[in-house]
Amino acid sequence: MKRFLSIYYPTFPAAIVYMLQSTEYDTKAYLAWLHRTSDFSVVMHRRTLDRTTVAKAFLIFMTMGIVLQIVIAATCVVLGYIEGSALTTFTGIFLLLSAPIVWAYLVIVPMFFAKHLIINPKLERQRRETKRILAEHKGLKIAVAGSYGKTTMKELLATVLAEGKKVAATPGNKNVATAHYQFARGLEGDEDALVIEFGEGHPGDVRRFTETVQPDIAVITGLAPAHLDQYGSIEEAGKDIFSLTEALKPSDVYVNLESDAALKHIKPEYVGFSSDGLDGWRAGKATIDLDGTRFELKKGKKIIHVNSQIIGEHLIGVLSATAIIANRLGMSTSDIEAGFAHTKPYEHRMQPYRLGGAWVIDDAYNGNIQGIEAGTKLLASLKATRKIYVTPGLVDQGRETTAVHEKMGRLIANAKPDIVVLMKNSVTDAITRGLNEAGYKSEVIIQHDPLTFYTNLDQFVAAGDVVLLQNDWTDNYQ
Amino acid sequence: MKTVLVIFGGRSPEHDVSIVSAIAAVIKPLELLNEYKVEPVYIAKNGAWYWNDKLKDVSLYRTGQIDQLMSKGNSPWLEFDGGLQLVKQQSLGRVRKQRIDIVFPVMHGSHGEDGSLMGLLEMAGVPYVGCDVPSSALAMDKVLAKQVAAANGIATGTWVSFTKQELQSDQQSVKARIGSLSYPLFVKPAHAGSSIGITKVANVSELDNALEVAAHYDTKIIVEEAVPNLIEVTLPIMGNSEPRPALLEQPLTDADTFFDFETKYMHGGKKKMPGKKGGKLGAHGYSNLPAKLPGDLYKQAETLGLNVYRALGCSGTARVDMLIDSKAEKVYFNEINPMPGSLYAHNWRAAGVSGTELVKQLLNLAEERYAEVEKVQTSFSTNFLKQF
Repeated sequence: MKRFLSIYYPTFPAAIVYMLQSTEYDTKAYLAWLHRTSDFSVVMHRRTLDRTTVAKAFLIFMTMGIVLQIVIAATCVVLGYIEGSALTTFTGIFLLLSAPIVWAYLVIVPMFFAKHLIINPKLERQRRETKRILAEHKGLKIAVAGSYGKTTMKELLATVLAEGKKVAATPGNKNVATAHYQFARGLEGDEDALVIEFGEGHPGDVRRFTETVQPDIAVITGLAPAHLDQYGSIEEAGKDIFSLTEALKPSDVYVNLESDAALKHIKPEYVGFSSDGLDGWRAGKATIDLDGTRFELKKGKKIIHVNSQIIGEHLIGVLSATAIIANRLGMSTSDIEAGFAHTKPYEHRMQPYRLGGAWVIDDAYNGNIQGIEAGTKLLASLKATRKIYVTPGLVDQGRETTAVHEKMGRLIANAKPDIVVLMKNSVTDAITRGLNEAGYKSEVIIQHDPLTFYTNLDQFVAAGDVVLLQNDWTDNYQ
Repeated sequence: MKTVLVIFGGRSPEHDVSIVSAIAAVIKPLELLNEYKVEPVYIAKNGAWYWNDKLKDVSLYRTGQIDQLMSKGNSPWLEFDGGLQLVKQQSLGRVRKQRIDIVFPVMHGSHGEDGSLMGLLEMAGVPYVGCDVPSSALAMDKVLAKQVAAANGIATGTWVSFTKQELQSDQQSVKARIGSLSYPLFVKPAHAGSSIGITKVANVSELDNALEVAAHYDTKIIVEEAVPNLIEVTLPIMGNSEPRPALLEQPLTDADTFFDFETKYMHGGKKKMPGKKGGKLGAHGYSNLPAKLPGDLYKQAETLGLNVYRALGCSGTARVDMLIDSKAEKVYFNEINPMPGSLYAHNWRAAGVSGTELVKQLLNLAEERYAEVEKVQTSFSTNFLKQF
C-alpha cells in the first residue's frame, strides 16, 4: 500500500524528473525504469535531482500538468454532484487518482519535441562546426574507440606525448558529439597532436564521430558486451567500432589483440598490440603490484623502460602501444620514459588507495567482462591477509546478461578471495551460480544497500586486507 | 537472526563517551553485518532507561533532541523469563516485547563498567560481551587491580591508597603516607575512567587541590609515584581462555603532560604534537601504532599486559595501560579498562581485525563464555529442608 501511495507523495514529480535525468532523457530507458518501479519514494537513493535548467523546466511542466488535471477533476466532481451525474463524478475521481501516472507518461511528449526540434538540430550544427575546426587543424588526430579502456588509453597517450609535444585531449570520459564540439572550440590551433575519445552508446555513433573528426591514427582498445541494450549484439557493436578503420591505412590502425570478440574484425595488416608487445617490439621483464606496472620493450638493441603507476597485466599492451605511437611520432626514448613516469591511475579505474591500513582498488568505472578478468587476475596475484571482492555486476549486457555474469562468478572464484560481497540485484543469482560452478567455498555476503556499504567500507576492512571494487550501479539499474 | 541489546549512557562521568562508543563502534558495525537485530537501550544521566530505535542516531544527543524523546517515552522493564526480555508499554494499551539473545554493554565507568550491570545480566541468564562481574569490579578499582596484579608478581610501581572518609577525618595520617612517596605524583580517583579527575602533582603545594578534585569524583583515592623516563603504552586484548593482543600503542604526549580526557576524546581525538608547529594530528593520530620501543620492551609490555588480563580473570575484551621507565627498561602495570572507549577499534583495525569482525568476535566470545558457565553445576539436592 505504501508503495502504491508513493505516486501521490509531493516528491513524485521530482522523482520522475530524476528518472529522466538519470537516463539522460532517453525515452526507452526512462520507460523501462518507470515500469519496473513500484515505490517512487525511494527512487532517489544514490543521489538527488540536479536542478538544471532542463530539469527545472520538466519539473514545472510535470507539476503544472498534475495541478491542472486535479483542478479539472475537482470541477468534474463538483459538477457531477450538482447535476447528479454519476458519470461526471466518476470521471472526476478517475482523473484525480490517475493524475500522477498520466503525467509520468505525458512528460515524454515535450521530450519528443525537444529532441527532434531542438536537440537534434543543435547537435547537427555542433557536428558541422567540429568538423570544420578539426579539418583546418594541422595537428595529428588520434581517435580512441572500443568497448572498454578508452579513457585509460587516451589519458596515457596524452600524458606520454605531452613530454615532447603539445597535446590536447578530450577531458575525462567525455566522448560524445557535444564533448567533441566543446573540445574543438577550446583548441589553440598550434597543438602537435589531438587525442579524441569516441564513445559508443547507440548504433552509428562511432561512424558519425569518424566522419566528423577524420582521424589520422586509430586505436581500438577492445570489444566486449557493452551497450547491448542499444546495439542488440556484440557483432553490431563491433561493426560500428571498427567503422573507424575504414578510411585509414591499415598501418595507422592499432588494435588490442587480447580482445577475443574483436579478433574477427581485425585485419592482419593492422598493428596489433598485446602484453607480448607490438610491431616487432617485445615486452618482457614485467612486474605488477600496487605501486604500478613495470616492464621493458625491446626491438634489436633499442630498449624502452616503461614504469607507470597504473596497475594491471592487461595494461601492458596498452602501455606498449602508447610507447610505440610516441616513438613513431619521433619522441626520444628518454622523453617516452619520462612521460610514463607521469602516468597515474585514473579515477575509479584500478585506482589503489589506502583505507584504515587496507588497500582498496577502486575499479568502479569498469563495466565489462574483460575488465573483470583483468581485475580478478590482479587480485589473485596480490599478497594480502584477506582478499575481498566487491561488485554489483555489469549493466547493459543485453541477451548475454546471464552468461556474462555466470562467467564473472567463475572469474571471481578463480581469484580465490576470502570474502565476496555482491550487491543484491537482478544479476546476483547468475554470479552466485558462477561462483558455485567454480567451487567457491568461502564467504559470500549479499548486500541490499550498496550506498551504506560503500560509505562504511572502513568498518569492513583492516590492515593487510586488499579490497577490489569493480563496477557500480546507479539508481536506474536494478 | 539473533537480537543484540546494546546498553549505553549511564550514571557515570563517561556517559557521553559511552554514547559515541556504542553508536560508532558497536551499533553501526553490527547493523552493517545484516546478521543481527540491534536493540538500543540508553541509560540517561539520572539512571532512567529508554528503548527506542531512534536512539541509534548520534545527532539525537548532539542536538539535544534526546531530552524531547525522553520526556515522551516510557521506560522499559526487564523480564527474566528463562532469559531476558525487554518490555515497554506503548500507546493504546499495546505492549512491545523483545526477547534478547546477547547483550552488548558499552558502559564506561561506574554503574555499568564496574560489574554492577554484569550482575544484572548474570541474574537474567543471558550472554553478554566483555568482562564478567568479578573481573569488571576488580578492573574498575585501580587499588584492587594493582593489589591482584602485585600478588601475581606483576610490577605495579609505588603507590598508596585511602578513602575519601579517611582523607576528611584523618588528613594528617593520609598526608604522612603520601609523604613517603617521591614527587612528582599522580592523584587519581580509584574508580573513574577516561582519565577523569586525575591530576599530576609536581610538589606538595599542589597536593590539596589534586586531592579535592579526586575526592569530588570518587570515595577511594590512589596516589602514585610518577615513573621516570616515562613511556606510556596501552594494549587492547581480546579473548576468554586464550587472550590475544592487538597492537601496543604509545600515546604521543611529552613527559610533562599525560594522556588526559581532553587528549582522548575532545577535538575529535586530536592533539597538537609537542614541539611541532601547526596542524593537529588526525583522529587517533595522537599515538604511535604500533609503539616504537627500544630493545625487547615491546615484548615485555605485551607479556605483562597479557599476564594482567589473566590475573584479573578478564574475558571478552579489556585494555591494559602500562608505564615504562625507558632508561631502566622496566614495565609497570598502571590500570586496566574492561570496556575500552570505542572498543579501541582503530587499534584492532591496524592489527588486522575490521570493525565488523571485532563486534562479531566479541559476540562469539560472549556466547562461548556463557556456554562454559552453563556447563557448571550450580545447585544440588539435599535433605536440609526436611528437618524443618
